[in-house]
Amino acid sequence: MFTPMIRSRLALPLALLALAGAVHAQVPLQLDLPKPLFAGTPRPISLPNLEKPRVGKRPDLVVPTGTVNLSKGMPVTSSDSLPVIGELTFITDGDKSGTDGTYVELGPTPQWVQIDLGAKAKVAAVVVWHFHSQARVYHDVVVQVSDDKDFKTGVTTVFNCDDDDSSKLGKGKDLAYIENFEGKLIEAKGATGRYVRLSSNGNTSDELNHYCEVEVHGALVK
Amino acid sequence: MFAPVSRWLPLALVVLAAVALRTHDLARRPMHADEANQAMKTGELLEHGRYAFDPRDHHGPTLYYAALPVAWVRGETSLATLTETTVRLVPALAGVLGVVLLYALALPLGHWLAVAAAAFMAVAPASVYYSRYFIQEALLVSFTLALLLAARRWWITGRLGWALAAGSALGLMQSTKASAPLFALVAVGALLVVAPPRCAARRPARDIFLGIAAALFVAAVFYSSFGTHFAGLRDAVMTYGFASARAVDGSGHEKPWWYFFSLFGWLKNGGLVWQQVGFSLLAVAGLVAAFFPANKLLRGVAVYTTLIAIALALTPYKTPWHVVHLVPGFALLAAGGLALIPSRPLAFVAAAVVIALQLSQTRLSSFLRPADARNPYAYVHSVPDVLKVRGLAEAALARVPGGFIRVISEEYWPLPWYLRAFPRVGYWTEAPANCDGALVIASATQAEAVRARLQGNYRESYLGLRPGFLCVVFTPAVP
Repeated sequence: MFTPMIRSRLALPLALLALAGAVHAQVPLQLDLPKPLFAGTPRPISLPNLEKPRVGKRPDLVVPTGTVNLSKGMPVTSSDSLPVIGELTFITDGDKSGTDGTYVELGPTPQWVQIDLGAKAKVAAVVVWHFHSQARVYHDVVVQVSDDKDFKTGVTTVFNCDDDDSSKLGKGKDLAYIENFEGKLIEAKGATGRYVRLSSNGNTSDELNHYCEVEVHGALVK
Repeated sequence: MFAPVSRWLPLALVVLAAVALRTHDLARRPMHADEANQAMKTGELLEHGRYAFDPRDHHGPTLYYAALPVAWVRGETSLATLTETTVRLVPALAGVLGVVLLYALALPLGHWLAVAAAAFMAVAPASVYYSRYFIQEALLVSFTLALLLAARRWWITGRLGWALAAGSALGLMQSTKASAPLFALVAVGALLVVAPPRCAARRPARDIFLGIAAALFVAAVFYSSFGTHFAGLRDAVMTYGFASARAVDGSGHEKPWWYFFSLFGWLKNGGLVWQQVGFSLLAVAGLVAAFFPANKLLRGVAVYTTLIAIALALTPYKTPWHVVHLVPGFALLAAGGLALIPSRPLAFVAAAVVIALQLSQTRLSSFLRPADARNPYAYVHSVPDVLKVRGLAEAALARVPGGFIRVISEEYWPLPWYLRAFPRVGYWTEAPANCDGALVIASATQAEAVRARLQGNYRESYLGLRPGFLCVVFTPAVP
């Protein structure tokens, strides 16, 4: 259809266009969800406007093509380095079923866990399953991304529902939520950093902090 | 000089351990709904001198009256100033008394085995947990042990004073809980197994009559609220109708027959292990020792404990605090089990190992995870979130001085306890027409209705009441 000369002149712009398209191509984030764990009939709980009750499927979060789960099997550290129940490795082992032996229990008072992605990454989404065998709300959940492993500089907060700054990480305006088997899907909007830190301050059932699984979806920065 | 020290020092250490385990950091665990309810009644008695026995939903009066001297000593004279520590000191002191009484009861086994029995009870997880819990159970156990001890002393010595003491203990049991007759009847049956064939009393019929009179007098004093509420005497009889109905239908607390035995075995729940295997094995050994060779005291204990266990197993209504009635028997039998070990040093080691294992379980249940839903003794327990309520109310009233606090929830205990010091607090089970206030706590099921009726902007947050029961806290938004 095109002459070789025209073809060669169009090649560069077309290639650039394709590259740009690849960079901006958006696909729904695919999540592998565990089974619901509410045993028997839970107490009726209607979700207040802290987070609107949702009917039907959770809306897809659209993320750039090439987004993968960067946290699977990556090392985890914590403010509670010796949890009484479970291991920190449970947080990134891919098992989010929530049954006994699949979650780690951190002590009372504010506690954090930190995932080392191994290299600087552009984070599209973080999904966290604290504990989903009972209707409960974790207090003061804060999720941050940084290149500094001590989280002193270059910190981007992607979620914060600590509305009274009791964790001293700044006041947040995000909405508290009730745990369920879908986990909390947090849009990270391309925050960059090597480390992802999640904080919480007990929950509505006890003073402890739990994690079944955390997934950090994104792409490594080359 | 050294003999008295070596004899009494171990017992003193056991009593000290019992005191420390039962009184340390009493205010830390949030108030259970039942504790809060009873503490409110105590506050009413303390502040206004008013108490009327409620035969339908409450147990006997001794718990509330026993709290008064503790409150006075601690300088608390009103509901607002009454504290968790004060009310929980009552079962704590009763629990310590129970340990001492068990030592005295076990003395026929010999001094060191009696000390071992007392030590087993001093560190038993259930005994410690419910001696730190403002309910009647620790008192009932101690009064039952007092009845057993006094009745045995009367039978052996024939002194009227012991008959009167036994009668008074029986009266206190009756004034504590409607289940007292069960324990009293089983105790008398067990005593008949243990007692020498002839009673030493010269006039046993008179002594028994006077003992029963003492029991009736003590019960009458308490149920009539020290002569101020004579309808309480009628209600003390009527309560058996309600208690029997509750025991038979279970009232939502039905559990399998082996439930109480499971608490002495091995349980794994949510990664936490709850076990009393060593203690139970020693108790089983003591059961053998009761019959081979025959030991009268242990045989009586075996009869008592077995009958109580059967009664508890057959009753559909089961709550974990009933298990404390099995602990003294298990402790005595476990001490008897030590007697089967031929070497004294080896027996010491066995006792030390069991005590250490029990202490680790007590640490877990009473101090590390006292309100954890996985703790078998924390039954439908309030969550630590409720400890925030007082602070929330103070902060709300600082923003809106003189404002109203509303609790709108189908279940709200123990919140009245935590809001006891605030003058303008109201409780609703459904959303009223006017929901506005300086602080509004609504159950998650009522939250939508409350939100629809609130005027103006409110900030919202979540608060747990019990595991799986969530409330939404509304506070006026600061512009």
